[in-house]
Amino acid sequence: MTATTVETRRFAAAAPALRLLLARFPLLVFALLFVYMALGSEFFLEWRNISSILRQSAPDAILAAGLAVVVTAGGDDIVSGGIDISLPAAATLGVGILSDQLVNGRPFVLAMLLAAAAVVAVGLLNAVLVVKVGLTPLLATLASWVAVIGTTKWVINNRRITVDHQFISNVRDGTVLNVPIPAVFALAVLIVFSFWIHRTRFGHRLQASGGNRSAAEISGLNPDYFLARSFVMASLAAVVATLVLTARSSGLSPGIEERLLLDMVLATFVGAAFSFRRVVTVPGAMLGAVLVKALGSGFQLLNVDIFKVGMVKGVLILIVVASAALEAGQRR
Amino acid sequence: MKATSLLEGAGSALEMETVSKTFPGVRALDRANLSVSRGEVHGLVGENGAGKSTIIKILAGVYRADAGKVNVDGAPLEKIDPASVHRLGVRFIHQEISLVPHFSVAESVFLGQEQTGKFGTAKRLMRQRAEAFLTETLGVELDGRALVRDLSVAERKLVQIARALIDGQAKLVVFDEPTAVLAAAEVQTLFAAIDALRQAGKSMLYVSHYLNEIHQICDRVTVFRNGTDVGVMNLRQSQEPQVGVPEIIRLMVGRDIDDLYPQRQHTKRKQKALEVTDLDDGQRLRGVSLTVGAGEVVGLTGIIGSGRAELVDSLYGLRKIRSGQILVNEEPAKANSPARAVRSGLALVPRDRRNDGLVLDMTVADNVNLATLEEVSTLGWLNRAAASRRGDESMERLDVRPRGSQAVSRLLSGGNQQKVVLGRWLASQARVYVLDDPTVGVDVGARSEIYRLIADLAQAGAGVLMCSNDPAELLGMCDRILVIVRGRIIADIVAAETDLEQLTALATGGAEAT
Repeated sequence: MTATTVETRRFAAAAPALRLLLARFPLLVFALLFVYMALGSEFFLEWRNISSILRQSAPDAILAAGLAVVVTAGGDDIVSGGIDISLPAAATLGVGILSDQLVNGRPFVLAMLLAAAAVVAVGLLNAVLVVKVGLTPLLATLASWVAVIGTTKWVINNRRITVDHQFISNVRDGTVLNVPIPAVFALAVLIVFSFWIHRTRFGHRLQASGGNRSAAEISGLNPDYFLARSFVMASLAAVVATLVLTARSSGLSPGIEERLLLDMVLATFVGAAFSFRRVVTVPGAMLGAVLVKALGSGFQLLNVDIFKVGMVKGVLILIVVASAALEAGQRR
Repeated sequence: MKATSLLEGAGSALEMETVSKTFPGVRALDRANLSVSRGEVHGLVGENGAGKSTIIKILAGVYRADAGKVNVDGAPLEKIDPASVHRLGVRFIHQEISLVPHFSVAESVFLGQEQTGKFGTAKRLMRQRAEAFLTETLGVELDGRALVRDLSVAERKLVQIARALIDGQAKLVVFDEPTAVLAAAEVQTLFAAIDALRQAGKSMLYVSHYLNEIHQICDRVTVFRNGTDVGVMNLRQSQEPQVGVPEIIRLMVGRDIDDLYPQRQHTKRKQKALEVTDLDDGQRLRGVSLTVGAGEVVGLTGIIGSGRAELVDSLYGLRKIRSGQILVNEEPAKANSPARAVRSGLALVPRDRRNDGLVLDMTVADNVNLATLEEVSTLGWLNRAAASRRGDESMERLDVRPRGSQAVSRLLSGGNQQKVVLGRWLASQARVYVLDDPTVGVDVGARSEIYRLIADLAQAGAGVLMCSNDPAELLGMCDRILVIVRGRIIADIVAAETDLEQLTALATGGAEAT
C-alpha cells in the first residue's frame, strides 16, 4: 500500500514541472523569435510595420474567429468535431458578388446586402447538412466549399474584378486613431464574438456542447442546436471578412480562398496553444492569425529566403501544436 | 445513528408498487416494490439482471412500466418522463461522470442553469455560490476556478452531485454506483458528502454492488432478485440485532446452480499457459499477479469498478501498462496492441461482441477466418474455397444456426454470434483464451454449448481465463477462481472449496479474504 502511494506521488510531482514547461514553450519560442526579429530589424517594431501586419491579418483573424465558434460548439476533433472549412469560400463568394454589383453600379448598401445574404445562406446550408442530414462537419463543409467556389466562378466568370469605389478605398487605406480600418473591423468582431461566446449564457452552453456532448445532454441542452447556430454565427464573421477582403485586394482576385483556408485553420489551432485553458477560443484564434502574419513579416524584414520562410513557419507551427498535444497527453 | 421514529413518521419520498416490465423474451421486473422514506438513505442491491437498473430507468422516465404505481413525495405520478420527474425534485447521479474537462468547477456546477448579471454571465456570483454549496452542503473545500481536468475523480463526483443539487429543489437523490469510478481512499470523501446531505434532510436511494458500503451508509436496504423485491432490511434499528452483510447476500443469491455445466476431467499440466506478474497501469490496477496453467480453467470475477475490465484490456494490449510482466507459454509477451497479443498466442472473446468481436457485415466464414487469414491464403492471396470450407467446418463444430457460412453475421442471434467469435479462436489454435463474459445475453441452450466448448479447449491443453460476474457459472466451470477488488486480486480460491455466498461476499467487499 505505502509503496504504491509513494510511487504515485513521485509521478504526480514530476508531471507539473514538465507540464508547465510544455505549456509555456510556444510562448517562449514566439517571444524569443520576436526579440530576435526586433534586434535584427529596427523597422519590425515600428508602428508602420505593426499596423501593416494588423491590416494584412484582419481577414484571417475575422475568419478564424468564425471558425473558433464552430470548433467551440462542435468539439476540437478535426474529423468528428466542429470544423467549417467552407468559410473562406463563402467569404470569396461574398467578395465576388459585392465586387460584381459595385462594378455594375449598384448602390453599396444593396450590393453588401446581396453579398451578405449569399454568405449567410452558405452558413445555413452547412447547419442543415450537419444537423439535419447528419454529415460530419468536415465532409459537409468540404462539399459546400466545392459548391460555393463553383458558384463564385460561375457568377463572375472566373475573372479578376477591380472595384473603384470610395467606401471600399476608405476601408482599405483609412485609419481610426492611427489604427487601420480593417483592424478596427477585426476588433469589433473580437469584442462581439468574445462576449457572445465567453460571457453569455448562450455561449456557455455552446462551449459545453463542444466540450463534452453527453455532459451537455445530461444538463438538458441540445448540442445540435448550438452546433447549427455556430455555423450561422461563423457565416456572420465571413460577411465582415467579405468587406475587408474586398478592400484588401480592391475587388476580387480569383484563388484567394485557398491561402485563406490554410491560414485560418492554422491560426485557430495555434491560438488554442496561447489560450489559458489550451482550448480554441475567439481571442486566441484572432491572436494566432496576427502572430502567424507577424512571423512572415519578420522573416521578410530579415531577408530570409522566401522559399525558406514557408518551411520555417511550418516548423514553428508544428512546435506550437505539438507541445500543446504533449501537454494534453501529460495531463491524462 | 438515526431515530426509527423519524423514518416511520415522516412518510415516503418514493413509493413504487407492483411495477412490472417485460422486454422481448425477458421479464425484467415482476411486481417489484421499492419504498424510500423521507430523510433516509435507502440501499438497493441485487445481482446483475435482478432488475435494479430497470426500476431506476422506469423512475427516470427512460423506460415505461407495463404495470404498477409510482408515488413521489406522496403524489401519484401518472405519466413519467424525465422532465416531470425532475420537476418533482428527483435527481439522478449517474455512474459515469460527464463534465466538460476545460470548464471550471463553478461553470460545471451551473451548466444549464447559469446566473447572469449586467455584463453577461455572473462568473463571480456563480463561483461564490458553487463554493458555498460545496462547503456547506457537501462539506468539501474546492476552488471554484479550478478546472475539472485538474480535479481528482472524487472531486469530479462531488462537482457532479453539486450540479444536480445546486437549484435547491432536490427531494430524492438517486445514486447509481457512485463509488464505481473511485479509488478506495476516495470513497470516504463521497460518504462524508452523503452524510452531509442526510443532515440536510434529503432522501437518497443508493444503488450499489458494494455491500460493505451499503452497510456503512444506508439506513435500510431493499434486496432485488429475479426482477422483484425479496426483502427490506433495517440496518440501523437498535432493537433488532444488527443485520449484517451475510444476510443480504443470502437474500441476493438464494438460488441453485443449474445443471448446465459439463463434467470436466481436471488434467492440469505443469506448464503455465499465462503468467502475469505485478501488473500496474498507474490508475486502476495495483500490482496484479495471476497464473493460468495449461489445461486449466481459471475464473476471474470483480464487480463494476473492481478493475476487472481494465485487467482484461491490459492482457489484450488495449490498455497501457506502467509496470509488470505478462508471460504467455512462459515467454514474455509485449502486450501493447491486440495484434501483438494475438501473435504471442492469446485469444480474446470480448464482452461487447457486437462492437468488438465481429465485423457484422461480413459473412460468418469471413469472421471465422479473420484472425487466421494467413492459414487460408497463399502468398497473400486469400483462397476463397479454403476459407469457405473452413467456415463450414467451424459452423458444424459449433452448431451455429442457421447453418451456412455465407450468412451475414449481423443477422445471427446473440448466442450464435458468440459462437462465431469462439469459432474464430478455435481456428487459431491459441494456447491461452481470455473470455470476457462469454455467456452474457446468450440463451440457455447456447450457454451449455459454449460451456462444452470451453471445457474442450481446456481438455486440449489450452489455458482459459474466464471472466464473469455470474458466481454460479464460475463455480460450475472453473478449477480456481480469482476475485479482484479495487485493482487488487484479493482471493485465489479452489472452486470446489467455496460456494455462492462466499464468492459473492468476497467480490462485493462484504468479506475479507482469508
